[in-house]
Amino acid sequence: MKLFRILAVWCFILFAAAGIQQAQAQQPEMRDVEFSSAPPQQEIEMADTLRQDGKIYVVVVVLLTVLGGMIAYLVTLDRKVSRLEKQMRD
Amino acid sequence: MKKNWWKILAVVLLVFTVVAGMLSEVPRLAILNETIRNLYFHVPMWFGMILILLISVIYSIKYLRNPTIKNDVIAYESAKVGILFGVLGIVTGMEWAKFTWGEYWSNDPKQNGAAVGLLIYFAYLVLRSSFNEQQQRARISAVYNIFAFAALIPLLFILPRLTDSLHPGNGGNPGFNAYDLDSRLRMVFYPAVLGWTLLGIWIINVKSRLELIRQRLYETV
Repeated sequence: MKLFRILAVWCFILFAAAGIQQAQAQQPEMRDVEFSSAPPQQEIEMADTLRQDGKIYVVVVVLLTVLGGMIAYLVTLDRKVSRLEKQMRD
Repeated sequence: MKKNWWKILAVVLLVFTVVAGMLSEVPRLAILNETIRNLYFHVPMWFGMILILLISVIYSIKYLRNPTIKNDVIAYESAKVGILFGVLGIVTGMEWAKFTWGEYWSNDPKQNGAAVGLLIYFAYLVLRSSFNEQQQRARISAVYNIFAFAALIPLLFILPRLTDSLHPGNGGNPGFNAYDLDSRLRMVFYPAVLGWTLLGIWIINVKSRLELIRQRLYETV
């Protein structure tokens, strides 16, 4: 159960990090729209966060997935061993 | 929860390493370009390996002073995880070297030292598996482990500094000065070292607990 909480904390961090990136990515765009006077916007707004900066965000997502998978695996192993330890004690 | 706080710390640090390691500003250096970010993934393997092998040596010494199965198991499992980190370090180093130094293996003194050091540790695994009797195996491999660590330090940290090396911090240069311009690198590098090391300690923790359960099961059955 303890380790389940660790997993929850990890998920929270992952989504928090994604949220911060999105917020950072959106701020300048909004300023542009608010203060532009004459030229009509050529760019069409899309969900661009993952395609920015040479698509480095895709790498970040992949790395986080690998890391998350590895850690989730380790967490389940840890819990299995804890359960065995408990059984041995009884 | 109180006992497991360091596992959460490991996860937090590793997530920080990946996110900040990929997205943070890094110095713009010729040849290295963006590969400078490998500093957060390749170098912590070696720092982690040294710290984990140090744990292994400490438990080997503890075993010689107080021969319990637990001390032996932790020393063995730490050595195995340390070797894993070393192999990952050498493979990532070769990949990095191919695209910056031009060759996977350029017989750099530090590369050779690392290879010899790893071979010494492979011999530890072979030596260990060649005993049937538990106490004999534990005692002799503990003695060998201390020797192996003592041989590894000069191979990685002293001999490469006495000659020219492609690695930064060698050939008379103080370590790390090449990056010292930038404290931004350190901001991610030190958390990365701690995160990867804690991950290794976590693996050791799970593996030694499993091994201890296994041994206790054999005793009772």
